[in-house]
Amino acid sequence: MNSCSRATCYAPDTGCSLGFLDRSKCPSWSGAELSGTEDTSRVDDVLMPWSARALGLVDAGFVAGRGKPFVVGIVGPENAGKTTLLASWFLLLSRGLASKIDRRFAGSYSFEGWETVAGTMRYHPGYLPQFPPHTSSKEGRAPGLLHLAFRHDADPVRSYLFADAPGEWFKKWAVDSQGPESAGAAWIAQHADLFLLTADRDALAGEHRGAARGTLQLIAKRLMSERRGRPLALVWTKADVSISKEMETAVRNAVFTMSEVGEFAVSVVGNDQNNGIGAGLLELLQWTLDCKRNTAVLPVVDRGTCDPLFMFGMRR
Amino acid sequence: MTNSSSNSILLIGESDVGKTHYGAQLLKRLMVSDGEVKMNGAATNLKPFEAALENLTEGVAAEHTPTSSYLDSIWPITNRAGLHAQLVWPDYGGEQIRTMFESRRVSDAWRERILQAQAWMLFVRLQRIHRTEDILSRPLADLKNPKVAPAPTLEAVKLSDQSRLVELMQMLLYVRKADTYRRLRTPRLVLLLTCWDELDTARSPTDTLHEFLPMLSDFVAATWESPLVMGLSALGRSLQPKRPDPDYIARGPENFGYVVLPDGLRSEDLTLPLKMTLSDLSHAI
Repeated sequence: MNSCSRATCYAPDTGCSLGFLDRSKCPSWSGAELSGTEDTSRVDDVLMPWSARALGLVDAGFVAGRGKPFVVGIVGPENAGKTTLLASWFLLLSRGLASKIDRRFAGSYSFEGWETVAGTMRYHPGYLPQFPPHTSSKEGRAPGLLHLAFRHDADPVRSYLFADAPGEWFKKWAVDSQGPESAGAAWIAQHADLFLLTADRDALAGEHRGAARGTLQLIAKRLMSERRGRPLALVWTKADVSISKEMETAVRNAVFTMSEVGEFAVSVVGNDQNNGIGAGLLELLQWTLDCKRNTAVLPVVDRGTCDPLFMFGMRR
Repeated sequence: MTNSSSNSILLIGESDVGKTHYGAQLLKRLMVSDGEVKMNGAATNLKPFEAALENLTEGVAAEHTPTSSYLDSIWPITNRAGLHAQLVWPDYGGEQIRTMFESRRVSDAWRERILQAQAWMLFVRLQRIHRTEDILSRPLADLKNPKVAPAPTLEAVKLSDQSRLVELMQMLLYVRKADTYRRLRTPRLVLLLTCWDELDTARSPTDTLHEFLPMLSDFVAATWESPLVMGLSALGRSLQPKRPDPDYIARGPENFGYVVLPDGLRSEDLTLPLKMTLSDLSHAI
């Protein structure tokens, strides 16, 4: 039963999405309270409007209430290490390493989501860590969004949503961006504020390296047509694996036909085996967090008038 | 106006972090009339603390506070400058905090406490914090061919201790409707790192918090303008529930216990966290 007229609010099962602690004060609440058979002692409880799991589009509204969060789209074929990249970042933040990139961790509304991806990379009694399992490729309109907030000095908090999408989505989107199975990847292409394109060096050195290169080139091409000037970085994942010069050149040629593309190489294996922070992970996170959204550019005023109505000229 | 209800200090902590022991030790010190912070009137529901004090006098640890102790204990206190405040002990057993976290619900009674308090005093026992290594901090020699069984499938994701504590703070902040866009001045946050004697460290409380709970430490520094982090050893040493400590019997519990100030200095004055919080509150008025 939903007693709220807003389609994006699930009160009373969750907290009011508009933030009213007393939901009877919310203008969208229809007023139907719990029936006598239910536990009336809990009627006045405040429920949290976030579940701590990866956010969907409805939950994202709660995070976006304070200001549009920065959406980070991690694009690449399956098994390229997209989820591992996210999990590694969370592990580094768990160790307080945000200070190394001049930030402070200021919270997350998707701790369970983060712990799900990062949990497998931790040591548990009797088990060795592993990489996160394959992100399941159910059809979806949007990816799971993992939230992080950071503060730089005493500046306002800045929120980020990291899209954790299965690689299959991008493969299909590269072939047909309007297809029914491309909706999730198309959502990222439309809403992301920046893109990280992952190039899997292990696949590019493996038995099926030709196919891996072909897929990556297709995805890069699609991204090029949908980028609309947004920041983009080519991220070599599993950077500890060496690939042939020709392969590296082929991928670079496919990506660097676009202008202003960053380039990073990341790996959970550090350059010095014991440095404990992997390679390139913090540098990439810093670049990601430093990116700014493209803002509207107003035309130059070249008229001599002070009247704002005619500042940009008159239609004749 | 300095009426006590407008200056309430809410004491928050999960179970077995030493809240009742601290309360019992405080009780005796606050009764001393020439103390800098003293009890100012009749406290409500002192039973659990008095029972714990009896145990301490006999040199044994207090028993675990039963879950059924759901009544608040409210202590009216005052400092030398005449600032009145109240200490609110809502949940000596600590189970309510756990329930609140697991059900993701905050009861009406807790909501009122959270909204009214001008300062939150959070008890954290670092020795109970579970710290795990990961693939980055301790790399595997052979990443591709791990020779033991794979990691367990985590059916129900269990948050790490520091994720859980940050999530708890976020829940409290949500109920408080605190705007964390800028760093917070109120409610004041005091982090008491309890059972400090277990840690056997010479580092300052802030550094120790960062060592054990780096993400929580980061979150607190990012969210509050000037959080206060102190170490607390309410008993000064570990007591057993059955084997009495002869020193305690001979000298009395009032001669044990210490706090560690933010700069790392030790003091035997267990009321210092209250003094410092009250002093902050008086500046805020």
